[in-house]
Parts: sequence; structure tokens; C-alpha cells
Amino acid sequence: MSSYQSSQRVLRTLLYVVIGVLGFAFIFPFLWMIVSSFKLNRDVLAIPIRFFPPEWNWMSYVNVFTKFPDFNFPRFILNSFIVTTLAVVFCLFLSATAGYGFAKYKFKGNGVLFMIVLATIMISFEAIVVPLFILVRRLGLQNTYWGLVIPESLTAFGVFMMRQFFFSLPNDFIESARIDGANEYAIFARIAIPMAQTALLALVIFHAQWVWNLLLWPLIVMSNPDMRVLPQGIALFKGGYNTPYPEQLAVSVIACIPLLLLYIFLSKYFVQGIAMTGLKG
Amino acid sequence: MRKASYSVTRLQNHGYLFILPTLVFFTIFLIYPMLSAFRYSLVEWNALTPPKAIGLKNFIVMVKDPRVINSIVRTLHFSGISVAAINVMAFVFALMFGSRLIRHKNFLQSLVFLPVILSIVAVGVVWEFMYQSTGLIPILLRKIIGVSPIWLTTTSAAPYAIIITYVWKSVGYYMVIYIAGLMDVPTSFYEAARMDGAGFWGQLYYITIPNLRNTFALAVISCIIFTFGQFSIQYVITKGGPARSTEILSLLIFREAFELSKFGYSAAISVLFFLMLLVFSIFQLRLFRSGTLGE
Repeated sequence: MSSYQSSQRVLRTLLYVVIGVLGFAFIFPFLWMIVSSFKLNRDVLAIPIRFFPPEWNWMSYVNVFTKFPDFNFPRFILNSFIVTTLAVVFCLFLSATAGYGFAKYKFKGNGVLFMIVLATIMISFEAIVVPLFILVRRLGLQNTYWGLVIPESLTAFGVFMMRQFFFSLPNDFIESARIDGANEYAIFARIAIPMAQTALLALVIFHAQWVWNLLLWPLIVMSNPDMRVLPQGIALFKGGYNTPYPEQLAVSVIACIPLLLLYIFLSKYFVQGIAMTGLKG
Repeated sequence: MRKASYSVTRLQNHGYLFILPTLVFFTIFLIYPMLSAFRYSLVEWNALTPPKAIGLKNFIVMVKDPRVINSIVRTLHFSGISVAAINVMAFVFALMFGSRLIRHKNFLQSLVFLPVILSIVAVGVVWEFMYQSTGLIPILLRKIIGVSPIWLTTTSAAPYAIIITYVWKSVGYYMVIYIAGLMDVPTSFYEAARMDGAGFWGQLYYITIPNLRNTFALAVISCIIFTFGQFSIQYVITKGGPARSTEILSLLIFREAFELSKFGYSAAISVLFFLMLLVFSIFQLRLFRSGTLGE
């Protein structure tokens, strides 16, 4: 028994060491990004390596916004916020309405139409990027927020997830509201949606994170420098000649802040949204 | 009675209105472009002059184009190693965090999860910075093991620089999926196995792995599909270089169309990309279908 206990203790210590080292390895690049963004350009790749800046330099955070006339970062940040907000609202609207329609109404063709929607998960973005660009240009949506938002907010997964959720919602609530004379849209908006809050919030976070990080589609559809979003701005900024590292890192830190805040306050829904992609069969 | 059933049908028809927006947008912005991709793959077009129908010529050129073949090989190399590494590590981490021996799980888990919520472009920026010749990684490696590859400017090391960055960024995501899967295995199964004298490995082999079959399938398949479509890390860190050693298909599709204005040719490569993923997509679709409730 005591040998069992001591072997448990060894195992536990070992596990802690392994996990500690791993945790450190996973968080270190992030810490390195932050401290390096506060270094002077001459210190940032200097040898020997020092963790803390020999001389703290806050200017890169100012320079990013003032010293590079070709990169209007305040505008990029604003664009990113607008695009993410629109995309989340739009995705939520489509997923919730369709999910509810498929789950709660027995109309003709329900099964077939749902399968068609679900089958679109087979269409990867890279496979349609050329025709999509041509379509968006023809519709006059190039260099507009909606041109960026619409194609990136059509997620069969969202419809699937909301349909699953509304299935689990008891019909009694809906029936009794009908008997009270509420119309179908009022029932949806006032009864179904409030009950779906948790699922909707998980979807919000999942989608916000997706849209905030988009790069490929913005590079294609936002050719007007004023319409660039933040990741696109950073990627082009980095590709520019001799862009100093502290400035690159500073603007990267800024790009990470919104999702970090979202995670700090709503981590439960983050994890839930991901766990739902692994939806058990 | 007849009146009631009539009104029930009418009621059920409200369903069409609920699904209408989704049907309209999916048709215009997903299904139609997918069908056009096949059409565009049969033309030669630079977006200035009218498209010229050339039959299957794009595909015939493509199978002999060293740039396309290189991208196929690079994509398979990048995806194969990344998917294997990510899923093995994610599963092992999930097991470790599932252990009853560990406390402060949430804190430790969130360290591994952190890269998932960082901006992917920011991740590219900081890793490119760390791979520089006097950056953190070469210096540390030289200190610890005496040597370091020249990460970003040699064709042998650059693909691995990308893979390491991508794995670091993604493991936490799949770890969460595996943790959710592990929590769904009833504890009574483990108790029964322990009664039968199964140790850690026995429980893993007879209980954990068989019960996680669906989780494995979904995690691996969606990881393959995500990884194939990865674009940002390559674009930010190496731009496909050096000497195209990290030019995966998504980057090639982007370049052929939007840098070289070969729209028809790019569409043909997209069709190839779609076909390469088709087996996995169909499998994913089937997994989702088997997971649908309440038919």
C-alpha cells in the first residue's frame, strides 16, 4: 500500500513537471511578443538575449499609429470591429432562423433541404475563391463590408448547431404560446431566442474569432487601402521594406487584445463552441 | 377536423419563411460559386479580355506543371505531419489534464489553449521574429543542444518551422474536443474495468479509445480539412519561400489568380483542391448526419 502511494506521488510529481514545462512552452512566445514589443529596435535581436528590455520603449505603440502613412491602423481596427460585428449578427440571424425552421416545422422537403444545407460543409473556401471574387465584383460588393462579410458568414455548422438546440427545446412552450394567440414570429423572437442564449453565445464567440482572424478573403476583396482589416494590414505592414520589429510586434499585441478579453470574460462559451464541433455522434 | 388539419399545414408552411434567408444566401454565395468553379476551370481568362473556352487544357497543363506538383507535395507534407502531431499531442494532453492526480487544471489548460485565441497573423509575426538567425529559437537551441537549423532560409528547415508554429497554435483547440469526449465516457465503465484489474494502459485500450471513436473521427477529419485550407501562417512567415518550399495549394491558388491574373488556371487548381478533400468532406458530412437528432 505504501509503495503504491509513493509511486503515486512520483507519478504526480512527474506529471506536474511535464505539464509545467509544456504550459511554459505554450505561453512563452506570447510573453516574448509582449516584452519584445517594448524593446528598442537595436535591442530586439541583440545577443546575448535578455528577457526584459534593457531600456523600456513605449514608442512603438505610438509609432504604429503615426509614423506609417501607408498604413492607417486606426481605420483598420475600426474596419475589423465593423466587419466582425456585422458578420456575427448576420451569421446568428441565418443560423437561428434556419435552425428553428428546420427543427420546429414539418413542411414538405424539410429533410431534403436540410441535407442540401448541410452538404455545403464540403465546399471549402479555397475551392470557390475565384468564382466568389468574380461574383462579388459583379454585384458591386468589392471593397464593401458586406462583400467581405456575407461569404464568410455562411456556416452550415451554425445552422446544424441551432437545429440541434431547437430540437431539444420542448414543444410545450411553443404550443401554449400559440394557444394564447401569439403569432409564429413573436414565438420565435420572444420565446425560442431567449431560451437559446447559451447556444447563441457559443456561436457568437466561435464566429467572432473566425472573422476577426480572416486574411485570405480580405486580401482579395479589400483592395482599397482604406477598407483593409487589421490582420490584412499587419500582414502587408510586415511585408513592407524594413518594417521595424518592435512596431510589428506592438500592432500584433493590439490585434490579440479583443479576443483575449472575450476569452477572459466568456471562456465557458469559447470551450463550449469548440466542444460542439466535436459533437458526439 | 378537416379545418384543423388545414390550419396545421398552413402553420407548418411558416417553416419555409424561416429557412428562406439561409437558402437564398447559401445558393448565391456557396452553391453557385462551387458550380462556377467547374465552369471557370475550363477557360483561359485574365479578367481583362473575355474568357476563352479551352476544354480540359488547364488540367492537362496542370498535371505537368512543376509548380502545381510541388504545391501538392508540400500540402500533403504539411498536412500529414501537422494533423498527426496535433491529434497525438491533443489526445495526450487531454489524458494528462483528465488525470485525477492533477490540480489547478483550468489554469494549466488555459496555458495550452492560449495560442488558439491569439490572432493568427500575430502568431506568424512573433514566430518569424523568433526564427531569425539571432532570434530566440536558434540561440536557445545552440545553447541547449549545440546546433540549430537555419530556419527560414533553407528549403529543408522552413517547412518544419511552419509546422511547429501551426501545431503550437492549434493543439489547444483539439485538446478541448478530446477533453469533451473524455468527459462523456461514463465513470462506471472505468470502475468496472478497475474491478477487473485493468491498469492505466488497460483502461486506455479497452475503455477510453473505443469510447472515443467518434471524437477521434471528427477531430481528425476536421483537422485535415482545416489544415489543407491553412493560408495565413505561410503567407505571413515565408510567403511560400524559400524556393517555394512552403508554397501550399491555397497559396498557389491565391497567387495564380490574384498575382498572375490566371483566373481559369487558378479555378482548375481549386477544383483539384476540392477533389483532394472530397473523400474527407464526405466522411465529415456522414459523421454530422449520423449526429443529427430527432428525425
